[in-house]
Amino acid sequence: MATAVFHQALGTAQSHQHLQNSGSHLEFGNASLKLISKGFKVDIGLSRRGSYSSWKKKFGVIQASASQTSVVQPVSYPPNNSSDELRKKSCEAALILIRHGESLWNEKNLFTGCVDVPLTKKGVEEAIEAGKRISNIPVDMIYTSALIRAQMTAMLAMTQHRRKKVPIILHNENEQAREWSQIFSEDTKKQSIPVVTASQLNERMYGELQGLNKQETADRFGKEKVHEWRRSYDIPPPNGESLEMCAERAVAYFKDHIEPQLHSGKNVMIAAHGNSLRSIIMYLDKLTSQEVINLELSTGIPMLYILKGGKFIRRGSPAGPTEAGVYAYTRSLALYRQKLDDMLR
Amino acid sequence: MAAGALHRSIRTIQLHGGSNDSASTKEFGNSSLKFISKGFAVDVKFLSNRSRSFSHCKMHVIRAISSHASVVDPIWSTSHVTTNFNQNTSIESSLILIRHGESMWNEKNLFTGSVDVPLTKRGIEEAIEAGERISSIPVNMIYTSALIRAQMTAMLAMTQHRQKKIPIIMHDESIQAKEWSQIFSEETIQQSIPVITAWQLNERMYGKLQGLNKEETVVKYGKEKVHEWRRSFDSPPPNGESLEMCSQRAVAYFKENIEPQLQNGRNIMVAAHGNSLRSIIMYLEKLTSLEVTNLELSTGVPLLYIYKHGEFLKRGSPVGPTEYGVYAYTRNLALYRQKLDEMVQ
Repeated sequence: MATAVFHQALGTAQSHQHLQNSGSHLEFGNASLKLISKGFKVDIGLSRRGSYSSWKKKFGVIQASASQTSVVQPVSYPPNNSSDELRKKSCEAALILIRHGESLWNEKNLFTGCVDVPLTKKGVEEAIEAGKRISNIPVDMIYTSALIRAQMTAMLAMTQHRRKKVPIILHNENEQAREWSQIFSEDTKKQSIPVVTASQLNERMYGELQGLNKQETADRFGKEKVHEWRRSYDIPPPNGESLEMCAERAVAYFKDHIEPQLHSGKNVMIAAHGNSLRSIIMYLDKLTSQEVINLELSTGIPMLYILKGGKFIRRGSPAGPTEAGVYAYTRSLALYRQKLDDMLR
Repeated sequence: MAAGALHRSIRTIQLHGGSNDSASTKEFGNSSLKFISKGFAVDVKFLSNRSRSFSHCKMHVIRAISSHASVVDPIWSTSHVTTNFNQNTSIESSLILIRHGESMWNEKNLFTGSVDVPLTKRGIEEAIEAGERISSIPVNMIYTSALIRAQMTAMLAMTQHRQKKIPIIMHDESIQAKEWSQIFSEETIQQSIPVITAWQLNERMYGKLQGLNKEETVVKYGKEKVHEWRRSFDSPPPNGESLEMCSQRAVAYFKENIEPQLQNGRNIMVAAHGNSLRSIIMYLEKLTSLEVTNLELSTGVPLLYIYKHGEFLKRGSPVGPTEYGVYAYTRNLALYRQKLDEMVQ
């Protein structure tokens, strides 16, 4: 397997360098290893580092030769640790964003907003596809909106996950709901992935356009007005939210609830909607309002970010099972994947 | 089409039967008409009737030649055959009960109760299968529990439905939730099927056993105790509900909320759980507590009841698309099905 080869390559590279226990930095010459296995290319570039003092060895992480932004990061590598501890020490957490697929009103070309419309057959398939793409990426917690199409997308995707932990939706609406959903086995809890539903992650609320046909809305209000509501940053439809308003609540929720989880090393998946996810991406990638209104998110294609050293690094999109493309695994992710392979052998 | 043939045959029989406006009973000799169309056999028998007085012709509806409990009941038919479904002379509504399929804890053999665990791949397939079976039965409103496995079952099943109305989940947990989910097009509202989620339809709450493995529970509490909790009517597990307690809240909800809808002629689907559905069936069929503890409901195989004149008539289970058997359509259902056939050309 590619990851096993990679692992071996690291081992080989290690033995060629010597360990230094002093506080000076280490420099590596440029070396490049190409490993090809079943069409899965891993390009390892070991490049020079700036001044950085540590007594541990440093390696550049796999450099993706895909069109996505490739990032070369130093990762400290204490020899005999499991991937969990490795993640904690290097405090790297994965963040997966999934936009739900086709809903029954998408199909009918109606403005949906916060109306709770379920997925079509196609939307169901898209969710399962998305799940296959992230089946090797660790997930410790899931956040979804309060709408069924996002929740179903998350649950359908997780049926494909190789780790076999069980998502459990948390209920906090009242005391009875909390009591009734209690779990009484520690083992079982450890095998659970809490799922938190939050209306702050809902789709942008479309006010008086909700349920209207896109054509009849243009007829009623005029084409330019409709275009303005749909594509501007701060102009809301009547009684609805602008993208700016949506961003405010979605990003606030992200910062208050989700980011702390990531900082503590938890890997998080968010299953939500076009506008709530764009808002979060605006925050993660520090986009301008002009950039965000032009941002289109594919449905069914999850996006991966890594939080590391307080920064969000975009890792692109995990390749589907039939794609030969390269995916920008970090070392931790590669190790996690290998663990899964070993576990499920 | 079989339904069309049936329709014509009913008409034919009417003409031969002759309508009688007197209050005497009518007797029909035994005659049998067999229609075979694409493996769909309809056996129509006219039986002599007990003394009953009425002014219309009576016909016995198709008798199911399947292994389900077949019910022969008189259907009031007017001397005019209409294709109008809003027949106020004989308000008849359908009630579909669907038990969700395999959940991730079923797979792991853990006591689930009211813990919100999602479906497995298999559970998803079962839901879609169930949907294929009821794809020709009218649905005006859907009730589910507050748990995702029942909600997903309903939404997945409805992706298979032939009529094109769209399930919309109602939200009234807060004023904002209500406002945000408003629909502003009358036409769209008419094309919607309201979906109501109710904790009263949740699975029986299993208290301190929730999350425990079935073997370890036996080890902890002893085989007889566990058997008692699982299979008795009124013995609750620690901090949990007995079947009796579950029945109380499920049946109360049914009587207060669902039955009035049926009385108004609305066709209802209820997607819920083993124990909440058994409780409702206990009420519908007037079972004893002993009978209900022995009642096993298949997953993924919906049950149909017809509500007519304040009574619930069991119609067995709609056949799957690959099954030859005969399904106990009522006349109205047959007409509805015919309409669908004409519509979806």
